Amino acid sequence: METKTVKQKPLFEGEPIYSMWLRELLRFIAMPSRILATFASPFTWLVLLGVPLSQVFPTGDIQSMFGGLTFFAFIVPGVLSMGLLFGGTNSGVTVLWDKEFGFLKEVMVAPVRRTSLMIGRSLGALTIALIQAVVTIAVALVLGIWLGFRIISIAGFILAVCFMIITFFAFVGFGLTLGAMIEETEGFMTIIRMIEFPMFFLSGALLPLNMIEGIPVLYQLQFINPLTYGVDGIRGFLTGANFLPLWLDITVIVAFALLFLFLGAYKFSRMEVD
Amino acid sequence: MAILTTEHLAPDSGELKAINDLGAPPLLTPGKDRTPMIAISNMSKKFGNVTAVDAISFEVLEGEIFGLVGLNGAGKTTTMLILSSLLNPTSGSASVCGYDVMKEKDSVRRSIGFVFEEEAVDIYLTGRQNLDFAARMYSLSRQEREQMVASVLKTVGLEQHANSKVRNYSGGMLRRLEIARGMLTSPRVLLLDEPTIGLDVQTRRYVWDYIRRTNREMGVTALLATSYLDEADYLCNRIAILHEGRIIATGTPEALKASIGENLIIFKLSKGSPEQFAGLLQDMPWTKSLESRGNGTFALSLKDKSIGIPQIVRMARTHGFGISFIQSSMPSLNDVLLHYTEKGTKGA
Repeated sequence: METKTVKQKPLFEGEPIYSMWLRELLRFIAMPSRILATFASPFTWLVLLGVPLSQVFPTGDIQSMFGGLTFFAFIVPGVLSMGLLFGGTNSGVTVLWDKEFGFLKEVMVAPVRRTSLMIGRSLGALTIALIQAVVTIAVALVLGIWLGFRIISIAGFILAVCFMIITFFAFVGFGLTLGAMIEETEGFMTIIRMIEFPMFFLSGALLPLNMIEGIPVLYQLQFINPLTYGVDGIRGFLTGANFLPLWLDITVIVAFALLFLFLGAYKFSRMEVD
Repeated sequence: MAILTTEHLAPDSGELKAINDLGAPPLLTPGKDRTPMIAISNMSKKFGNVTAVDAISFEVLEGEIFGLVGLNGAGKTTTMLILSSLLNPTSGSASVCGYDVMKEKDSVRRSIGFVFEEEAVDIYLTGRQNLDFAARMYSLSRQEREQMVASVLKTVGLEQHANSKVRNYSGGMLRRLEIARGMLTSPRVLLLDEPTIGLDVQTRRYVWDYIRRTNREMGVTALLATSYLDEADYLCNRIAILHEGRIIATGTPEALKASIGENLIIFKLSKGSPEQFAGLLQDMPWTKSLESRGNGTFALSLKDKSIGIPQIVRMARTHGFGISFIQSSMPSLNDVLLHYTEKGTKGA
């Protein structure tokens, strides 16, 4: 028996993280349907929902209702946040799924930290989500020539992207935690959708938060929904028309991200044992 | 072999214990220090109320190909997953290359290669990409990595197809890729879970020969979980029969076969009284049991390995009997497995 040098595991496992990231991207590129869906989604929401509804809410007096924005400009941050909510949650959930179904087994038997695998995959999903976000903004800017959407400043755009990244990770953690909590795999996606859609509709993504002030419960629910702060923050950085103070948006999203990433990572590392 | 009744097959002591550890494993390289590469002691694994593995113990020596044989659901995969450190045992202990599977997971993972029963490659990537990704998990230099990937691709004969997407691979190519991934880091212990499931005869033989070659040339110790007995017979130095989570017999394939009646002779009497001849045989000290199958045909089980067809024929001739047909029947490992598992089920 030759002597075995015991390698100390590095704190930051760059190569495995990079490899998981690259793999996510290569898988994405290898599936044309996924590429198509990524690019088609912003068109669907902006062109098929945004354009027709802009006719219901014409520019003019009513604009004050949307914080000085046109309806179209108002929903652009909403559509962006939806991509982050769905993309992030799905990414978190599938990390656990892959474990169940064995795709990840081959990397699990390698001497790599579970969290490195998780980080790598999440970064891959983040990259795809950001590509989608950039496409969405580009489409919105073109349509915005007629429908009145523009970005207030380059700095605002950069800050919005940073804020979107934090929001994305918040939902990765949320997905991880959900995935660990829900045991059965059948009908799992339906349950996830049942949680995602109410979150989306009660986030001020499509309508101003104060528009439903007269409806009890629904109105209050908006403020315990973390996505509300995500939508408001993105809207604030991109267009300057935030309803809540930006410091509050940032605080809530960062706290939510930390809480759920910690919970998710804890659940994930516990699941590795059995 | 329906004619083999439990009674006449039971070893002399009549206890299952007695057939454990039949014969020493053949030493492949005499004089070499043969330390246990895998050691499992009193290990159990429970999933809720279900006991998948029930207090099993065995050791696999360096350079051995050890077979873990059993029906579906016997606990083979669970044992393999515990040895790979992906599952923790509920009680007992297990070590690979001297590393504890619960406390030294990293060292265990660094020492093993695992070929999974189910598909564990990414079909959307090419063969080379798959191996490259697997290699990246070990944080090696680019040069080392590329060299390693090229070398295993060559060994399994997939160089030509290295750059095509795995989804276009045939079943045999897929399996070879999986084995290449398992062998990538030149592990000292290779865990193979049903490595030839769903393969055609030719590809199976190819995979077997490859496993054998890596074992002989590189001294890789292999633990093979399989439900195919011909596979275990062809490859393994020793096997353990796992049934309902327990090991019910361990030994070399030959010893296990011998334990259920290696010396079975079937013959047909053409001249003389069958009853008289039967009486004659039953008085012999080397007769374990004799069963009449009617029409003058008998199945004779012998205690003594030195007694065979010539002795029976000579005996018949000297006593004036005539034999028209005689055949010596060697049980296969399939018979061994069925024999022990039936027994195990009855006992449970």
